[in-house]
Amino acid sequence: MHKVEFEQLEETLFHEKLGNGLNVYILPKKGFSKTFATFTTKYGSIDNHFVPQGETEAIKVPDGIAHFLEHKMFEKEEGDVFQEFSKQGASANAFTSFTRTAYLFSATDEIDKNVKTLLDFVQTPYFTEKTVEKEKGIIAQEITMYDDQPDWRLYFGIIENLYENHPVKIDIAGTVESIQNITAEHLYTCYNTFYHPSNMVLFIVGNVDPEQMMELVKEDQAQKTFEEPTEIKRIYPDEPKEVAIKERVLEMSVQKPKVFYGIKPEKVDMIGTDMFKHELAAQLAYELLFGRTSDFYHHAYENDWIDESYSFDYSLENGFGYALIGSDTHKPEILIKEIKQTLQKAVEKWPFGQEDLDRVRRKKIGFFLRALNSPEYIANQFTHYAFNEMNLFDVVPVLEGLEVADLQNAFALVSHESQHSVFTIMPTKKDA
Amino acid sequence: MFETINIAKGVNVHVNETTQFKTINFSIKFKDKLTNEKASARSILANVLQHSNEVYPSHTALRMVLDDLYGTSLYIDSSKRGNEHVVTLNVETVNDQYLSEKGVLEKVLNLMYIVLFKPNFEHELFKESIFLREKNAIVQRIESVFDEKTRYAQQRMMELALPNHPASITSNGTIKDVENVTNEQLVAEYKEMVTENEIEIYAVGDVAPEMIASHIREFFHFKDREGSIAVPPLELVKPEQSHVLEYEDMKQGKLHMAFFTPITFRDEKFPVMQLMNGVFGGYAHSKLFVNIREKESMAYYVSSSFASQFGLMFVLAGIDSKLEEKAVTLILEQLEEVKKGNISDIELGQTKALLINQLKEALDSARGQIEIYDQYMELTDKFEPEFMINRWKNVTKEDIAAVAQQLSLEMTYFLSGKGDEKDA
Repeated sequence: MHKVEFEQLEETLFHEKLGNGLNVYILPKKGFSKTFATFTTKYGSIDNHFVPQGETEAIKVPDGIAHFLEHKMFEKEEGDVFQEFSKQGASANAFTSFTRTAYLFSATDEIDKNVKTLLDFVQTPYFTEKTVEKEKGIIAQEITMYDDQPDWRLYFGIIENLYENHPVKIDIAGTVESIQNITAEHLYTCYNTFYHPSNMVLFIVGNVDPEQMMELVKEDQAQKTFEEPTEIKRIYPDEPKEVAIKERVLEMSVQKPKVFYGIKPEKVDMIGTDMFKHELAAQLAYELLFGRTSDFYHHAYENDWIDESYSFDYSLENGFGYALIGSDTHKPEILIKEIKQTLQKAVEKWPFGQEDLDRVRRKKIGFFLRALNSPEYIANQFTHYAFNEMNLFDVVPVLEGLEVADLQNAFALVSHESQHSVFTIMPTKKDA
Repeated sequence: MFETINIAKGVNVHVNETTQFKTINFSIKFKDKLTNEKASARSILANVLQHSNEVYPSHTALRMVLDDLYGTSLYIDSSKRGNEHVVTLNVETVNDQYLSEKGVLEKVLNLMYIVLFKPNFEHELFKESIFLREKNAIVQRIESVFDEKTRYAQQRMMELALPNHPASITSNGTIKDVENVTNEQLVAEYKEMVTENEIEIYAVGDVAPEMIASHIREFFHFKDREGSIAVPPLELVKPEQSHVLEYEDMKQGKLHMAFFTPITFRDEKFPVMQLMNGVFGGYAHSKLFVNIREKESMAYYVSSSFASQFGLMFVLAGIDSKLEEKAVTLILEQLEEVKKGNISDIELGQTKALLINQLKEALDSARGQIEIYDQYMELTDKFEPEFMINRWKNVTKEDIAAVAQQLSLEMTYFLSGKGDEKDA
């Protein structure tokens, strides 16, 4: 078992890669009652075109299948896994993102049993045509619920604008129509391809003894048999640099317009340290341009072009990414113009120096230290970084190594006008 | 958990000295009675104080200082609990033992003092442009509830079921009341808040109680105050209509049901009612989840919640608009099961285990410790998780059935999609 100490943070991370390829990480947290565990596969909504395990021909699967599979994992021949966790005082959950499916529980008691339950249920698929059919009603209601949420529609609206071919533009849950085509056989195909231990990470954080816990996991895994790990062949379409749609408007039942200004990064093939450095540099650049201390924010807030819903974000994965700036606003046109001008001015002359960098860097380090109080944050972020060959606990040193030029370079990759797009939700016009 | 030090009449400092967290959390709570007018004025006040002050007159200047203090987070929120309105200054700062720089804590406390006691006054009023801007921000915040249909439906039901009752007054007040607040009134409200309100100050982190208390004395100079006299809980009155159907341009139907119960937070049966709610619809093993979602595949979410301050229980479900009647029938059937005491040992055990887990988990966050302690202060001087755990442990199925029998359905509210209007 490897032990990595992060002295300044006073954290020790334990790691072992098991014989079947599973990466296990354990982070003991003193003083905490709870233990939080996530069991995550590197399989999300974008993995819809791939060569199934043991075959040679690539297939395309229905939209929303990774999410559907996530739902169905909880049901077993003997009943619902939620019931099992409840008996052991644990609350369990799961989520599917573009790139990952995570199963998790948190509990303050019976941790060993709960870890066993987590490993067992994720590693024992059970799907029948009947149970698959039954789930369609529940997921259809979930999709309908999201359809009524303007913030979700806004988020997906802008991503659809940015991407022409990449499956990131497909809603994670699919559509009410697309899920009708999902069969138990599909689920087994996806499960067998993507749920191999070598494609997964187990992260346990909280009130645990690392040695004892690692033994428990090793023993559990040794008792189970898995196929030899094979490389997963995922197929992604070519994606142009330019955005797919420059501008689009949707009408919904909202009281005032909502806008997202989206930017598609030019370079999305980074991995490891390069990706880490770029993502953090771009986040700091956006913080300076659009954060709460920026001229833009001050100006926009005082003039009532933005309100408390204002947000900005820069996010990167292997293969896609996006910067988003948006708010509910009575003045969508002016707000869009202001964002455009702010970007344009920064292209013409980079406005920030060392002092600005130091300030936002301190802010980001402080945020990171605060976040280390949250087992949920640690587990989720750690896995995101691990799947992209980075280590969450390197955030502070990477931040400390950034220079003004890094921010400027990161910004340069997302500054071209052809990579920009706008999505707006307008209140439904009332019938006279 | 917390050590309490009284520093003036009506002003208490509660400190939990712990190495559990890498940060130090503060909350300063100003408590007053809840009315629409007060909630409106004090929400504006929270925003105005958070926006600027005499030393840092612009939002940007204040935010820059916070960034420099390692991204210290500082915000003021307004909330309600029962008949009380609470304005809270929340601050979280890194513990400087993880930093090369020292003295961060003193700087942060001084900043908290400035935020609360050095407002940005011009001619003894809040700077007009900021006053107007933040008033507008609260109006927009209240309006934005409409966009989230689940929240909106719940608010509509409360307005219809209990008009002008604290249960339906929101912590931001109403648009009309916010618009009517004058700068003079806001200054008066501010003065009352800092000099007359009862204040609870919390600190959680690797800090000594005496040290925090002496810093607070030194920086804040709080004077004695009477505090607000506890107002007895208001009676619930029967809603005028028991069923309301409304329409919006949306796809999913939102079913909201309100039940009255004579049991509140202060009642000795409170733990029983928590268990009843858990068995009925509080968790993924509950009767509502298993029967309405898993067996019938009718809903993605269906759950119940217990508003213990008022003696209310709600059921919420997102369903196809055509299925309202069927859903109501099924929900009431499940309630009947609870009333009859048809609860398995497993269901009872699961619910107890999850309530205990939930409480212990909440105490793993500094904010959770503060909120739980602040709430339970009313019932016990020294709150420890065992206080509740022991009460839950002894609850039987018969106890649960008995409290379920006291529930009465007062209103069913259904927010339906516009497309379904013609069929209805």
